Amino acid sequence: MTVALALLAGAALVGWLAPRRLVRLADPVVALVAWLVSVVAVVATAAGAMFLLVVPDHGLGVVAAFHHCWNALQHGTTPAIEAVSGATGVALLTALLVRVAVVGRRTARQRAQEGRRHMDVLRVAARREAGPHPTLWLEHDRPLAFSLAGKPGVVVATDGLHRHLTPAQVEAVLTHERAHLDGRHHLLVTIGDVVAATLPFLPLFKRAAIAVREFVEMAADTAAVRAHGAETVRVALLRVAGHGAPGPALAMSRDAVETRLARLQQRQSTPSTMRRLLSCGLAGATAMVLPAAAAAGALTALMLVVCP
Amino acid sequence: MRGLGELEAAVMDVLWHAGEPLRVRQVLERLDTGKDLAYTTVMTVMDNLHRKNWLTRERDGKAYLYAATVTRAEAAANAVREVLSASGDPRAALLHFAQTASEEESDLLRKALRRKASKK
Repeated sequence: MTVALALLAGAALVGWLAPRRLVRLADPVVALVAWLVSVVAVVATAAGAMFLLVVPDHGLGVVAAFHHCWNALQHGTTPAIEAVSGATGVALLTALLVRVAVVGRRTARQRAQEGRRHMDVLRVAARREAGPHPTLWLEHDRPLAFSLAGKPGVVVATDGLHRHLTPAQVEAVLTHERAHLDGRHHLLVTIGDVVAATLPFLPLFKRAAIAVREFVEMAADTAAVRAHGAETVRVALLRVAGHGAPGPALAMSRDAVETRLARLQQRQSTPSTMRRLLSCGLAGATAMVLPAAAAAGALTALMLVVCP
Repeated sequence: MRGLGELEAAVMDVLWHAGEPLRVRQVLERLDTGKDLAYTTVMTVMDNLHRKNWLTRERDGKAYLYAATVTRAEAAANAVREVLSASGDPRAALLHFAQTASEEESDLLRKALRRKASKK
């Protein structure tokens, strides 16, 4: 019971506090990995706690070395309470996970449909420039660019880009969009949206949607900066975002643009692939064991207090 | 299916380039897709385009004369409008380079940036 509670507490603690640390990570790709792994780790740790409640013998095995202490701590609780709370927890967790799966499937299907609908129009209206990620050019004066996931994913851009940006800036914008496709960012954004929509508690879940959207933009910016320099990307972003048409529906992610611009202004260097891979692995591993480690810490502290 | 889609784009290209109504036979002659296309294939594609409102047609003797319902620029503007109106939608399947700020907001944005830059 105590181990299970400690695990739950560890999971909750990470779900509560991790976002504050995660938003300060310098590399957006590392932040993305750490955030999504943390989501999995918190859910897995909670599931582990439920498992221990239902099958308490396994819990005893885990802390066999502290058997005496375990008995002392367990004093006063009957197995019936454990079984009931465990069963309730398992039922709750299963219901939540089923909800995640159902909403996830529906969201993915809706987005795929919406994407195909856009593609139907774009394929006819645009001029196609071949490539690993084809670029669809629209004859339109407003500078605009976006990417659509699919098989293959495409970059859609307007001729207005060429009229309002220098060739290097246009290339930076296209590199940014291709980075979205290469990094499978549309999938990550969908995962973040589904997590935020289905698990509306703990900042780690609630803020997943916004955080992932910001991180993928910054990750794509990093790719563009590596190829074309920070100043080029900064000016391109300013010109595209600042080319406003009045319309209430469109004035949304000003904050994200501002954050990105601020980041582009103070950026020094971009990490090498090797270093980034290493940091990602490290961040992922840390995020995975963090809830359990927090639980172990809490348990040890408790033991020190209860049985000196 | 993807092949047919590309053919649709090629047919529209021919009609936008011509700037006047054309028969299926004329479109077939001007299509430059690198492969031999059957008359019936092109006819099917143009029939589809008519069904999807990309083309209008008028009977001229035995055959139809097809014309684009919108110019290429209008089609592009429509596509942009559709995509932008969908981008706030939770079903949106796309990632924007930068969501557009309103005139007033982008003005503030630029001023804020200038201030930040000069502080350094």
